[in-house]
Amino acid sequence: MSNLRAAWLVATREMRERSRSSTFRISLAITLVVVVAMIVLPELLLGAARTTDIGVSGATPGGLPAAVQTQAAGVGLTARLHEYPTRGAGEDAVRKGQVDVLVVDGRQLEWPRAADERLKAVVTGAIQVVAISERAAAAGISPGELATVMQPVAVTNVELSAVAGRSSADQTATVVMTGLLLVVMSTYGALVLTGVVEEKSSRVVEVLLARISPRALLAGKVLGIGLLGLAQVGVMALAALIAGTAMGSLDIATLRPAVLVWLVIWFVIGYAMYAMLYGALGALASRPEDAQSSVAPTSMLMVASYFAAFFLIAQPDSVAARVLSFFPATAPMMMPGRLAMGSPGWWEPVLAAVIAVAAIGLLVQVGGRLYATAVLHSGPKLSLRDTWRTALTAPHSPTRGFRLHAGNVWARATRRTTMHRNESSYRWTVTALMAIGVALGVVVGVVTADVIIGVIAGAGFIALTVQTFNLWTGHGGPAPSGS
Amino acid sequence: MLEFHGACKRFGDVAALDGCTFAARPGRLTGFLGPNGAGKTTAMRAAFRLVELDGGSVTWRGHPVGDGDRVHFGYMPEERGLYPRMRVRDQLLYLGRLCGRTAPQVAGTVDALLDRLGVGDRANDRVDALSHGNQQRVQLIAALVNEPDLLVLDEPFSGLDPLAMGVMAGLLSDLAAAGATVLFSSHQLDLVADLCEDVVIIDHGRVVLTGALDEIRAAVPDRFVDVRFTGPAPEWAQLTGVEVLESTDGHVRLRADSRADAGSLLSRVGRETRIVALSFAPPTLSELFRRVVTP
Repeated sequence: MSNLRAAWLVATREMRERSRSSTFRISLAITLVVVVAMIVLPELLLGAARTTDIGVSGATPGGLPAAVQTQAAGVGLTARLHEYPTRGAGEDAVRKGQVDVLVVDGRQLEWPRAADERLKAVVTGAIQVVAISERAAAAGISPGELATVMQPVAVTNVELSAVAGRSSADQTATVVMTGLLLVVMSTYGALVLTGVVEEKSSRVVEVLLARISPRALLAGKVLGIGLLGLAQVGVMALAALIAGTAMGSLDIATLRPAVLVWLVIWFVIGYAMYAMLYGALGALASRPEDAQSSVAPTSMLMVASYFAAFFLIAQPDSVAARVLSFFPATAPMMMPGRLAMGSPGWWEPVLAAVIAVAAIGLLVQVGGRLYATAVLHSGPKLSLRDTWRTALTAPHSPTRGFRLHAGNVWARATRRTTMHRNESSYRWTVTALMAIGVALGVVVGVVTADVIIGVIAGAGFIALTVQTFNLWTGHGGPAPSGS
Repeated sequence: MLEFHGACKRFGDVAALDGCTFAARPGRLTGFLGPNGAGKTTAMRAAFRLVELDGGSVTWRGHPVGDGDRVHFGYMPEERGLYPRMRVRDQLLYLGRLCGRTAPQVAGTVDALLDRLGVGDRANDRVDALSHGNQQRVQLIAALVNEPDLLVLDEPFSGLDPLAMGVMAGLLSDLAAAGATVLFSSHQLDLVADLCEDVVIIDHGRVVLTGALDEIRAAVPDRFVDVRFTGPAPEWAQLTGVEVLESTDGHVRLRADSRADAGSLLSRVGRETRIVALSFAPPTLSELFRRVVTP
């Protein structure tokens, strides 16, 4: 049976079994309710706030009710007027919250609490308009002449965003989308991770690998969970679209179609890349407890690229943004922002996507080998170094000659380390990494004149490198191999 | 025919397989024996290319095992494994389809096996809801979903009750009779002796004894004589050509040469002694095993 067909069978099993589980259905229902509620509730609450009740009592000028309605309509409010025979009755209504404001004798406003500025402007404006009309009539100015005199000047409002030519709505939409990408990648990546560890700890993997290749198993798992995730995100987006359209609050015009298409492409690429990494590294763990530490560097890399995208979105055409948008690990987070906010040439996202897809292809090969080596190993957590060495020197490897040589050199180089200075070299390396991290943090802090960015950069560097080093040497975790 | 040609595999400083050479023939049950750590599991994994050999090869019908062969193999690993939360029948259908068979083909095989092993009524239960014995049965079906030409089972009888052992033994014999090559490991030597035509014994990664069990036993020069009797005990030690291994009240165990004549042996037993039970046999498999395996 071909690898493709095997991978597809694995993928369909993932989709069928996962969509059948009650956990999946409940979480899908809850997210759907939350998404719809987030769109519908503000509309309902705002809709209620768009109606205002105004009480009038005493000597009210004849044109006032109509003028209030006109002024209110001008700011998007619907005014309902209530007449009270006495001032006392009107004040009662204010105190009971039946009206938002009481207009006494056409010149005094009585509020339940401090005056609402918008409503005050509406009512005051109406009072002025009515007074001016009355005085103009008394002075013999016709309503037509008055209208000409009072003709308002059309004032336009322009919102200046950080990037010329892009609205702040563009920026918000991009930040939201990148955040969603992070959530989707880590959620479904974590499903791949737990799936791999479950197969390993339940030992079913030996039954499976007696039939299909490790690469087909890993790729099929990533594909199945990915398709399920895409369907889930699609359902949520559809619900949001329907709810938003029904409530009349949706404004998708801010995202251009090309940006939207690229966003979907980067979703797929980003997920495939990180899920492959999660799956391959997750195989190093024998128990679910070890799984998180196996993928800690990967998770950090993902979060770091999100923060980089977040900070660099205001300078989409800067050198840093350009470089990071071509680097495979950060491209999925970076490129959508540059497309939405910057002005990259048409070839830039295409080239970045080709690089990223090539990186995924490499990951399938290398990750598949790591996975195959690690997944049948039981017992204490494996170090990435040992797994890597075993994977490299395996006889069926296509570039065996070179790799054997590289593996031997590496084995010779590291044997000295592991035998004579294992523990102290580990401590020294970690200390050195921390010192570099602190220095980096100070430099970044000084250069950007921002302490917080400096701390984030320094701490991020230390966390990422120390975790990667732990994974490589098999340090950390409850049961180090001890060999 | 499944053949191992000088298979070698090291894990660090330990040689799990050290020039392991043997064959398992079609239509026969082959018992794969050896003390713990002898390399049985590694050898079985090597047949499925789950471990990459450092040297030597494993061939099936004369050529190295490939992916196209593996889908016609069935494997029951020592560490049993199924998806605990997946339903029994769905799981078996899935495993069958991974061997490249169509859904209706697999369904027919799976339903027949579920009924034969008495778990047909649990087909739609989750695996983790089944008792240990029933999970074992499902694990066996998982190895048979593709009606394999080669069946490799690592300790298939461990953890089974006597009834289930009988069912398992019958099933394996039937499969071999239908032409399949069946190789299984076990520590229950009496069971292997009853069931298998061929045995392979390995120790420290090397084959120390292999062949048809009857021929091996016939070729051994020793015969064992067990006599249960009542009445006065003869002077066993004075009989020529025999050695007394064990002598208790009413029972004696002697070792004789294979050319010894059982009739003449008996004629020398005195008239006063009544023989209750008598056996004259080559060494049992357990005795052969202890003889070839270094402690």
